[in-house]
Amino acid sequence: MNDPILPGRRRFLRQAAMAGTAFAAAPFLRAADPTRRFRTVLIGCGWWGKNILREAIASKRVQVVGLCDVDTATREVAAEQVNDLNGDRPKTYNDYRELLEKEKPEIVIIATPDHWHALQTIAAARAGAHVFVEKPTGHTVNESRAMLRAARDGGRVVQVGLHRRIGPHHVSGMKFLKSGAVGDVGMVRIFAHGGGGRERPTPNAAAPDGMDWNLWCGPAPLRPFNPRLHPGGWRNFLDYGNGTLGDWGVHWLDQVLLWSGEKYPRRVFSTGGRPIAGPAVNDATGQTTDAPDHQVAVYDFESFSCVWEHRKFAENNAEKHRIGAYFYGTKGTLHIGWQDGWTFHPSDSKAAVVHEDSQLQQPDGHNLKLLWADFLAAIEDGKPAVAGIEIAHRSSVLPLLGMISWRTGRSVAWDGEKERIVGDPEADAMLSRPYRGPWVYPT
Amino acid sequence: MHRRFRLVAIAVSLAAVSLLRAGDWPQWRGPDHDGISKETGWTDRWPDAGPKVAWKAEVGLGFSSFVVAAGRAVTLGHGDEHDMVTCLDVATGKTLWKHRYPSELGDKFFEGGTTGTPTIANGRVFALSRWGDMFCLDAATGAVVWSKNVQKETGARVPDWGFGGAPLVHGRLVVLNVGEAGLALNRETGAVVWNSAPKAAGYSTPVPVTAGAATLGVMSAGNAYVAVNLADGKPAWSVRWLTQYGVNASDPILSGDRLFVSSGYGKGAALYRVGDGTEPVQLWKSKTLRTQLNAAVLFDGHLYGVDGDTTEKASLKCIEFATGAEKWSVPGFGSGAVTIADGRLLALGGTGELSVAPATPAGFVPTSRAQVIGGKTWTVPVLANGRVLCRNSRGDVVCLDLRKS
Repeated sequence: MNDPILPGRRRFLRQAAMAGTAFAAAPFLRAADPTRRFRTVLIGCGWWGKNILREAIASKRVQVVGLCDVDTATREVAAEQVNDLNGDRPKTYNDYRELLEKEKPEIVIIATPDHWHALQTIAAARAGAHVFVEKPTGHTVNESRAMLRAARDGGRVVQVGLHRRIGPHHVSGMKFLKSGAVGDVGMVRIFAHGGGGRERPTPNAAAPDGMDWNLWCGPAPLRPFNPRLHPGGWRNFLDYGNGTLGDWGVHWLDQVLLWSGEKYPRRVFSTGGRPIAGPAVNDATGQTTDAPDHQVAVYDFESFSCVWEHRKFAENNAEKHRIGAYFYGTKGTLHIGWQDGWTFHPSDSKAAVVHEDSQLQQPDGHNLKLLWADFLAAIEDGKPAVAGIEIAHRSSVLPLLGMISWRTGRSVAWDGEKERIVGDPEADAMLSRPYRGPWVYPT
Repeated sequence: MHRRFRLVAIAVSLAAVSLLRAGDWPQWRGPDHDGISKETGWTDRWPDAGPKVAWKAEVGLGFSSFVVAAGRAVTLGHGDEHDMVTCLDVATGKTLWKHRYPSELGDKFFEGGTTGTPTIANGRVFALSRWGDMFCLDAATGAVVWSKNVQKETGARVPDWGFGGAPLVHGRLVVLNVGEAGLALNRETGAVVWNSAPKAAGYSTPVPVTAGAATLGVMSAGNAYVAVNLADGKPAWSVRWLTQYGVNASDPILSGDRLFVSSGYGKGAALYRVGDGTEPVQLWKSKTLRTQLNAAVLFDGHLYGVDGDTTEKASLKCIEFATGAEKWSVPGFGSGAVTIADGRLLALGGTGELSVAPATPAGFVPTSRAQVIGGKTWTVPVLANGRVLCRNSRGDVVCLDLRKS
């Protein structure tokens, strides 16, 4: 299928996806050679990027030929770890465009901040590589659409880091849900809670020696370097991430789609603020984060409603769980969580609680090993990737819509077929955002 | 081999002398900067209910350890947008004084609070905050003798988690791991004596080591372990050591001309030969011991320390110093820490279980163990004068009386 425009109907979309996948797989349809090693590169060599890369190396199916990071020390740390793990000596790059051109990778892993996902995924797919990119797909909705388009056009597998789709306790929790043991589910509450307090500005500082801060900011606004922002803190700076809803919410919204089979909500409303963290600061001397310290988002689906909640204060000790999803059914409440596995609390107080432990990889409690194996299988066998871009795009749109409602203060009506916000041109315009030159917003 | 034998002999003779003194612990890693206490005669046999609790106290949020001298125990903690230097009567747990100053919580990827440990020397308490606030306090009263913000004065880069090393008092100087290779202040006035480039420091405490006529201070920078002459700050040698986010946190361990360094985030450890005027030479490199926070303790040719990060169930391990070979591992120990005293490990697991076991490569066989405190215990237990001080991140403190009655 070579239609560059998103089809108007889901059936078309699905057909396009299958056609694209088959096309992608064609060159590899010969029996998979378990000793074959894919020329692999990593863009974004921080904490999570190295977690993915370790799984890639552990699969013994990659030759790490290149590492790209805008920070010299970060890419050198990663290069040393690769050499320690499998003896490869990857070349290191500051600029992903040079990496793609020189290394001609077969697989590109992308673990940069959200504002870079789209341009890098599109460039990698156009360069003929399969892509493993972190969630959420895009920083704005139309970036994600452009990523989807590039994946289809190039006929490449794009796996998105929604590892909860394949995590054993998630899979068994879903099975339990679908068995009817929870009864009819009419509402889902998804959440991520923590502790915290008032935030004071962190002084701006010079970027570390050997760091290309301008390139780190890339298409997003150029802020002064601040240690609160990097490493890792960007998730709560809305120029680069989408707060807790973008970071954690996408996993649980993805679980809701996985469970329900629905493709999109009809309406989304979100509210929240920073009453505890205090006003966002970004001046000549220092910065705070600017993401909300708490947020509620309501997703109105056809057959149920879903509420997202996060708090960065108070913890959640009045309840049993800090993170996860409550599926409220006629027979009780199923909690699917993180380290705490899943637990079914029956409505009938005399009935037994049912529980299953999580089976996560440590450190950091994830299931990247399984997701990576699935990615390789999709490349080699042509079977749909479990968190392929078609699915992950729909999941990633949800937090982004929540953030648009939060910004505008209005409920947004979502046309999930056309992927447009109905009757609110201002909100609809927020499906994209201006890029900082010379970078051009992808289409 | 001969050199190591001689070092052990010296250590033994020093230990013998110190029996005549009170077993104080006036600085981070103890009297000899090596994590070893000279205490003997304390009991490693407890009833099942655990050792006798002498007292409990509360010192505020953080991970700072204790220093003990002249009957006083001092540590740092955080609460209500202030850090607090707290001085406790080590016999009763009564607060003798507190010194408070405004400070950031600094809760980047953890609960925040203080991370560095103060130092007691010559009746003074020296304390450095994560953000560069430096205090010299009267140990008896807590009165400020002098104070300044060394970060603002020198423009040194604040490492991502703030300054973490304890002050090293050396002669007339107080030496800080601030800047690329340290900062020395006049102990009496706080005036800068020497300085290094305003780049990122690591989080270790400067360790003094004799090199010919000079004394070097060895500490971590953001991308190396460096040795400088303590008299003038001039660099002696440097080992490039890259860890994710520049988290070179564990103190370097020196033994003769050997330098052992280790860090977490999957990095591992290495042994170098240093200090003979040539470039340091790597003797081995391994991932058997990855100390993210607290350094291991070297005892009788073996290192005892915590392998792994706070985000996993770290293991307590013993590895051979000369080769890096693993001797034993205790999975699930958590991100706690060990002290060694009288040939025994005093090992506090990451969630408050304290064990005593012979420090031997033959295995970890505790003679006693007990849950002595709850919460998150990333802070090394301190043994001084027969009492053990343990704290958790919330700032709950428990003092255990291990004196033989």
